[in-house]
Amino acid sequence: MRAGVFLCQCGGNISGVLDLDDLAAHVRPMDGVTTVAINQFMCGTEGHQMISEAVEDRGLDHLIVASCSPRFQGPTFERIARELRLGENAVAFANLREGCSFIHKDQPELAQEKAKKILAGAIARAQHQSDLPRQRTFLHRSAVVVGGGIAGMTAAEELAASGIEVHMVERQPSIGGYMARLSKTFPTEDCAMCSLAPRLTSTALEGRVHVHTLTEVDEISGPPGEFSVKLRHRPRYVSEACVGCGECVPVCPVKLPNDFDFGVSERKAIDRQFANAVPSTFAIEKKGWSPCKSACAVHTSAQGYVALVAAGRFEEAYRVASEPNPFGSVCGRICTHLCETACARGKVDDPIAIASLKRFVADTVGPTVPVQPAPIVHEERVAIVGAGPAGITCARDLADLGYRVTVFEAQQVAGGMLRTGIPDYRLPHDVIQREVDQVLAKGIELKLGRRAGTDFTVDGLLEDGYQAVYLATGLQKSAEAPLPGDDLGGVTRAVELLRELNLGGTPIVGSKVVVIGGGDVALDAARSAIRLQKQAGKEPDVTLVYRRSKVEMPANVTEVEEGREEGLTVEFLVQPLAIEGKGSKVASIKLQRCALGEPDESGRRQPVAVAGSEFELVADTIVFAVGQALVDDFAQGCDGLELEAGQICVDRDTMMTTREGVFAGGDAAAMGFYTAIEAVAAGRRGAASIHNFLRGQRLLPVWDDEREVARPTEEELAAIAIGQRVPMQMVDGLQRRGDWREVSDGYTAEQAVAEAERCLNCAVCSECDSCVRACPSGAIDWDQAETIEGITVGAVIIATGHQEFDARRKRSLGYGRYDNVMTQSQLARLLAAAGPTAGELERPSDKGVPKNVLMLQCVGSRDCQSSGNEHCSAVCCLFATLHSSLIKQHYPDTEVTIGYTDLRAPGKAHEEYYKLVQSRGVRYVRGRVSEIIEEPDKSLRVRLEDTLTGRKSEELFDLVVLSAGLEASEGTKDIAHVAGLQTASAGFIKEYHPKLAPVDTQRTGMFVAGTAQGPKNIPDSIAQAKAAAARAIGMLSTGFVLTPAQVAASDPDVCIACGVCETVCPQGAVAVTTGADAHSVVDPNICRGCGICNAECPTGAIQLGGFSDEEVLAEATV
Amino acid sequence: MAAAPAASAAGRETGVGQPAVAGRSVVAFCCRECAYAAADASANARTSLPPTVRLVLMPCTGRVSPLHLLSALAEGADGVMVAGCLEGQCHYREGNFNAIDRVAFVQRLLKSVGVAPERCRMFTMSAGEPPKFVAAVKEMDRVIGGLPPLERSAVPAVARGAA
Repeated sequence: MRAGVFLCQCGGNISGVLDLDDLAAHVRPMDGVTTVAINQFMCGTEGHQMISEAVEDRGLDHLIVASCSPRFQGPTFERIARELRLGENAVAFANLREGCSFIHKDQPELAQEKAKKILAGAIARAQHQSDLPRQRTFLHRSAVVVGGGIAGMTAAEELAASGIEVHMVERQPSIGGYMARLSKTFPTEDCAMCSLAPRLTSTALEGRVHVHTLTEVDEISGPPGEFSVKLRHRPRYVSEACVGCGECVPVCPVKLPNDFDFGVSERKAIDRQFANAVPSTFAIEKKGWSPCKSACAVHTSAQGYVALVAAGRFEEAYRVASEPNPFGSVCGRICTHLCETACARGKVDDPIAIASLKRFVADTVGPTVPVQPAPIVHEERVAIVGAGPAGITCARDLADLGYRVTVFEAQQVAGGMLRTGIPDYRLPHDVIQREVDQVLAKGIELKLGRRAGTDFTVDGLLEDGYQAVYLATGLQKSAEAPLPGDDLGGVTRAVELLRELNLGGTPIVGSKVVVIGGGDVALDAARSAIRLQKQAGKEPDVTLVYRRSKVEMPANVTEVEEGREEGLTVEFLVQPLAIEGKGSKVASIKLQRCALGEPDESGRRQPVAVAGSEFELVADTIVFAVGQALVDDFAQGCDGLELEAGQICVDRDTMMTTREGVFAGGDAAAMGFYTAIEAVAAGRRGAASIHNFLRGQRLLPVWDDEREVARPTEEELAAIAIGQRVPMQMVDGLQRRGDWREVSDGYTAEQAVAEAERCLNCAVCSECDSCVRACPSGAIDWDQAETIEGITVGAVIIATGHQEFDARRKRSLGYGRYDNVMTQSQLARLLAAAGPTAGELERPSDKGVPKNVLMLQCVGSRDCQSSGNEHCSAVCCLFATLHSSLIKQHYPDTEVTIGYTDLRAPGKAHEEYYKLVQSRGVRYVRGRVSEIIEEPDKSLRVRLEDTLTGRKSEELFDLVVLSAGLEASEGTKDIAHVAGLQTASAGFIKEYHPKLAPVDTQRTGMFVAGTAQGPKNIPDSIAQAKAAAARAIGMLSTGFVLTPAQVAASDPDVCIACGVCETVCPQGAVAVTTGADAHSVVDPNICRGCGICNAECPTGAIQLGGFSDEEVLAEATV
Repeated sequence: MAAAPAASAAGRETGVGQPAVAGRSVVAFCCRECAYAAADASANARTSLPPTVRLVLMPCTGRVSPLHLLSALAEGADGVMVAGCLEGQCHYREGNFNAIDRVAFVQRLLKSVGVAPERCRMFTMSAGEPPKFVAAVKEMDRVIGGLPPLERSAVPAVARGAA
């Protein structure tokens, strides 16, 4: 060290008591002291020059300044050192004035000794003072304002007026915040929107303010002046083409509580929060796909048609239901309806009867819809082999795309397995025929009785001018399951039995029938056998044996129940061993009981035979229903077509077979085994693939992208009143088994509406497209998706506001349970001229004007015990006073009582306003309410104690309004987390210093304004917003920021990563890294230099610059 | 709080109350937000103070560690004091509470080796309370004056070594 000691006389203040020459002589020989100088005023120009010359001439690297307290001239000498390029931390101070001469005048000898010690301490300290690094960040002249309420708008406008680019981030669809929801404002009783609306417009029109609505801040990183902010823009689904006409609102079938109105009204899934909203563009709330839509193989918007049924709009419901699926009436009866399995309502009571509702709309509306031939757009011709659900759907989609389509069907009737495999009582033939005919009416040619490979070949089709062929021939025969005795007379197979039956024949069954299998086909065969026996005049005797239990059964469970109603015997966990004959005929079947073992690759538990459990059942007819198999005659004359394990090989992405131009789908294709709806989905994929093939480009997606599934939360589900599904009329089981009538009648219109109203609207928007049709400017845009945008800004202002205390947490007050208990914010909406009642006060239970209103203060404020909130919410006394005044002026006959804890009206003109309102006849009672009880007529019995007089009373009120306190909004809690800011009680953001730095946060460059910081009224929010803007403007005007010199730093070689520093740091500036070389790291942008970490560190790895242990100890131990 | 380990009565410093003795020294670790400012204010009012007490500026009393206190005692001070912000008014939230805990810890340590625990004291004040600072210094001077010069060997060796 080469230090210079500079002794200041301070014009006699120091030299009058201390002998500076003696001190100079004392320190001159000390280690590291190069030069000593004395001046009258070391802080003056002369002193400055003296120091400069000494540094230059003697090559000093440290200055020891012996003068006044470092709190006075410290910064001056530090600046001089910086100017002389001695770096940070080059000055040590000996406080000879306040620390010695001023206070020991009467003991000069002792003072002289003490001064020597002080000087020695400073010199010793300087030995350990080394330069401290500072990081420099150039500032971006821009800011992000989080929150678009009155505070955020004010701050944004102030910043913009100073030429700073502002990104305003608002999570709601419109800016405006809480103020936009108020009726009037105290104490002037002027309308909130009247003063807010011009600000909304001016903020939006200010060129330097970029308003991002439906946007949230996901991340803030980097140093002050250069914050990297990640914005997440949620889709609005309405483009800027929206002219704000509102045609979309009445047609939207989805109603939900209006959150903008605090639930006192309903809104639609497409909505604009308020008339003056900025931007004026409407927005659609969509949470993804509803569980029902996601579960459906063709992703039918079930929530959409259910919502339209609930609205009584059956034609539109049919449009939504039939758009992806031409077989509405069919699927409404026989679909496996995974939509119902997925239905969220099923977690509460019964899932919505989605299939039955589909059947209702398709049966009622379907026959009335006229079908025109689809215009031919493309020259290419497509042949479809097989008129089942896959083939017919493929034909329909291709016809809609403008292709000429011919369908070839081997049977004399179209419909495939739907027609030949399912008996009439479950799916009437005329229902299938109608839906097939409607598809054919699009101009599709159907050729019946033409079997591929026999009557024509695929090669022939391609030679005849068909450019593409779709094979959807299905699995037309029963799978073989060899069993001893299966060649005996009376052994038959389900597919063949049902086909004979459905094509008009009468298959012969004996008097004791055993059906083997557990699928829908087995049930169909068994229940048909009952009817055939009955028709033949026999007493029904049919037993179904299945080797697994009911849980593993692929057939619909209701089928089993309906079969049992008709007299069917079902034996679970039983497998066949052999068929015993008598002569050439079946006499009995040998069976064995099973137990369930381990699950196989399909996830179903495998049956394991139970030894010694064999038994015999007398039977004359055995029906096998153990799967289906391909009839591959079409492969004759189809060069290059490959089969794999009894199905046609297809490419999963193109649906093309191994033969160019030949596609396949449905049961016949090697994509798995299909249900009817999966066959429809396969048909759609086939049509898309053929279109892409013929057009030579990938125009249509073959597989739908799965969307995020919207599911109600457990909390939302818990709030739903338990009900039940509207039951459907059924024909009695014993009656119906005698004929082929349909088992159930279907819903009536009233039943359908009632059932549809149970829907929870999981995804909010049901994607019914009603708005798309209604919008005159084509503004609905389903292609919008969530996007992430990164911006860099110099400063951050947080103005994320507050929310009302959830008054349900005070259970005794009945909010959420009693109709006529509301909160002050809800009342504000009712009293607002532009609110849901146009300013009329309505009692929720009967819409009448309340005659006797009680307002209850301090709900969730000043109430540590039951709400956890100790703070006063600051605005409620005047909020209640304002509303009481408005009620009293509009309804002079209505009595208003305010039950308060202490009346607090400290703002400007607030006390005067309170006195004025009191003079208008509002009764103020100091007291708290113990309990509120709802009377049968919905009025409220309130036990009230007047704490001034001690009088207890019980009174009846028509309406109770709770002045629920203010808590930090969810947005405030979220941004505190994202930005790493500390919060105080009720989640409000903690300011850097409650008095001296009320708009600074503990992070440099981040400021807080409005109710995000704590409860306050509108003028205070505005004042604070302007203060925050001024702080940001001040910082951004400096060009760059330096990290402070006095910050902590950790030595990774010494650090043991114990994490104590991270725990004790009041700023959250320290983090411990992970991995093998874990150690603590201090962010110099956040550290404020308190040194608590340094004191707590067990190894001394973390040291505070300027106050390291070496520096402190050197000074303290001289 | 656990009781301090009992020290033998013979090895123990006896109480206070003797007349002030010159030559004693006290190191005062003062928070720059409060106590150091109060000291400046009292000095600017020319309030006389006993010259026993020498100030060391700290950013926060939370920065003061037992090492500092014990080292100062080991290296020549007869007493140490920590002067920080009023409870609940720390500029870094709870640094002064950390200091209070550490002073109590050092007091227990001193007591356990037979040194009068009052040689280490904690005081709190705001920047606007110079009289509190003056009173604290006088109190410290009175206490230390009432005790004999500190026997260096009595101070825990670990502290002396660490310095």
